[in-house]
Amino acid sequence: MEFRFRNKAEFMDKLEDLFKSGVSPDQTKIVMPHPDHDIEHLVEEYTSPSPLKFFTLIGGLTGCFTGFFIAVWTTLDWQLVTGGKPMWSLPAYVVIGFELTILLGALSSVAGLFLMGRLPRFSKMTKPEDYGNEFVIIIDED
Amino acid sequence: MSTHITGGSEAMRSGDAAFQGKEKMERDVFAAISKPKPVFYMALLLAVSCVGIGASSLAWQIYNGLGVAGIMNPVGWGVYITDFVFWVGIAHSGTLISAILYLFRAKFRNRFNRTAEAMTVFAVLTAGLFPLIHLGRIWLFYWLFPYPNQRLLWVNFKSPLVWDVFAVSTYLTVSVVFWYIGLVPDLAIARRLKAGWQKTVYGIFSLGWTGTFKEWQHYNQVYKYLAALAAPLVLSVHSVVSWDFAMGVVFGWHTTIFAPYFVAGAIFSGCGMVITLMVPMRKIFSLEEYLTPDDFEKLARLLMLTGLIVSYAYIMELALAVYTENVYEYEQFVYRLTGDYAWAYWTMILCNVISPLTLFVRSLRRNLTYLFILSIPINIGMWFERFNIIVISLAKDFDPFNFGLYHPSWVELGITLGSFGWFFTFFLLFTKTIPVLPVTELKEELE
Repeated sequence: MEFRFRNKAEFMDKLEDLFKSGVSPDQTKIVMPHPDHDIEHLVEEYTSPSPLKFFTLIGGLTGCFTGFFIAVWTTLDWQLVTGGKPMWSLPAYVVIGFELTILLGALSSVAGLFLMGRLPRFSKMTKPEDYGNEFVIIIDED
Repeated sequence: MSTHITGGSEAMRSGDAAFQGKEKMERDVFAAISKPKPVFYMALLLAVSCVGIGASSLAWQIYNGLGVAGIMNPVGWGVYITDFVFWVGIAHSGTLISAILYLFRAKFRNRFNRTAEAMTVFAVLTAGLFPLIHLGRIWLFYWLFPYPNQRLLWVNFKSPLVWDVFAVSTYLTVSVVFWYIGLVPDLAIARRLKAGWQKTVYGIFSLGWTGTFKEWQHYNQVYKYLAALAAPLVLSVHSVVSWDFAMGVVFGWHTTIFAPYFVAGAIFSGCGMVITLMVPMRKIFSLEEYLTPDDFEKLARLLMLTGLIVSYAYIMELALAVYTENVYEYEQFVYRLTGDYAWAYWTMILCNVISPLTLFVRSLRRNLTYLFILSIPINIGMWFERFNIIVISLAKDFDPFNFGLYHPSWVELGITLGSFGWFFTFFLLFTKTIPVLPVTELKEELE
């Protein structure tokens, strides 16, 4: 069963009615022309929020550890005094730790999007289902 | 069963108006990526010619060695490092407009973020060339990265130059990722609107995006986290660039205000470049309906604010030189104001301090022709700011025996011209391949 709307308010009303009547979000496919916070809040009342934050957190922590580890380990591996500075110079390594926190945090977030959103979808690349600017509800009746 | 519902209630009529508005916006914005006109090819030819001059100059330098550049003792950092800092600075405004204004929910950000992000990516790509060109033996660039090697040596992680490698590489990667993720839904629209081979290409780059709730749910999250990660990144990168100088015991460099001073300067120059690019683009692509004087006025206010911060930093530099009673520091600043390069210093003051003050007049802030004209001296002034910091400080060292004057050679100027050509080539290709306004985000505003 497919419902197509040009009007967001009508679409939201229908969606809420369907959920209240017992239609499970798992058997409902919702297609939107753009993101919308109202719709997101409505659907998340019936589903769980995105777990993507854990990808960001794990990536960021891994990056932070890697940055400090590389700097410290290479210092110990070949102990060379440069510029009269102390061998262990943790403040200097903060920059490396910080940059790798951001880098791996960002890349793992995108990996999370690809995994959770099941992207890229090769079959849809050339033969997409395009609904233009309509809001669509498709209910799987099987 | 397929049900198409439209109706007559007030809410439904407004929804239908929003639908029509979205359809019109798609048509208007995607019209810009239609077949280019002859003027586009002329502009592209000019930009590619500049790249040719730059590439020839670089080839000459590689063949003959770094001696053909004007850099010498004591001015070992000249136009190449000036260009590097200039382009990194230009790159900063993109992430500021996109990430920081996104987190603050500033709506005018949606007018500028796509172009500003593109500008960021192309400017970092340009900036990244200069440390390599400055190396001389450009083919050994990979020595900058830590990798196991037969010499059993590692890079020095205590060096600001190595910090810079990590900061700029991270900035380039995150900027590209942030830009591309923001583009995916718009590329899916392009896939729908285009035909033939273009449809296939846009289809591949849109990753098979279909706009399901699950996709949007994760997309919103990732965009928020990328913005939250990019915001401190933008502050850190130019701080790290400033530490390339501030960590050295050179007069005019060794100061704690350098990081915020550089960040404010970067945002100032980046906003200037956004105006330089977007005022003509608005006219050429007939986007007057979406880029209004109100939007540009907000950008002009940001330009004015950062211009005042930069002016304050210039005053503080002089004040520190006077109050610290360090004779070398004091002499350095007297030399800046009255010495061999005083013309460069006063050009900077005129462009970066005096000219932005005109933005206190509201009618000038809303006059797009004036904003475009003003943005040119701001770009020039910010280039001279970096030139002054780098060259003047090095030209007058501790030891009078070591004083020396630097004059850029034609090779350095040719490569600088080439860098502008390189940047504008990418930018021109961008305007004809990717929607210059973020259609999806603007659609959201219509609801």
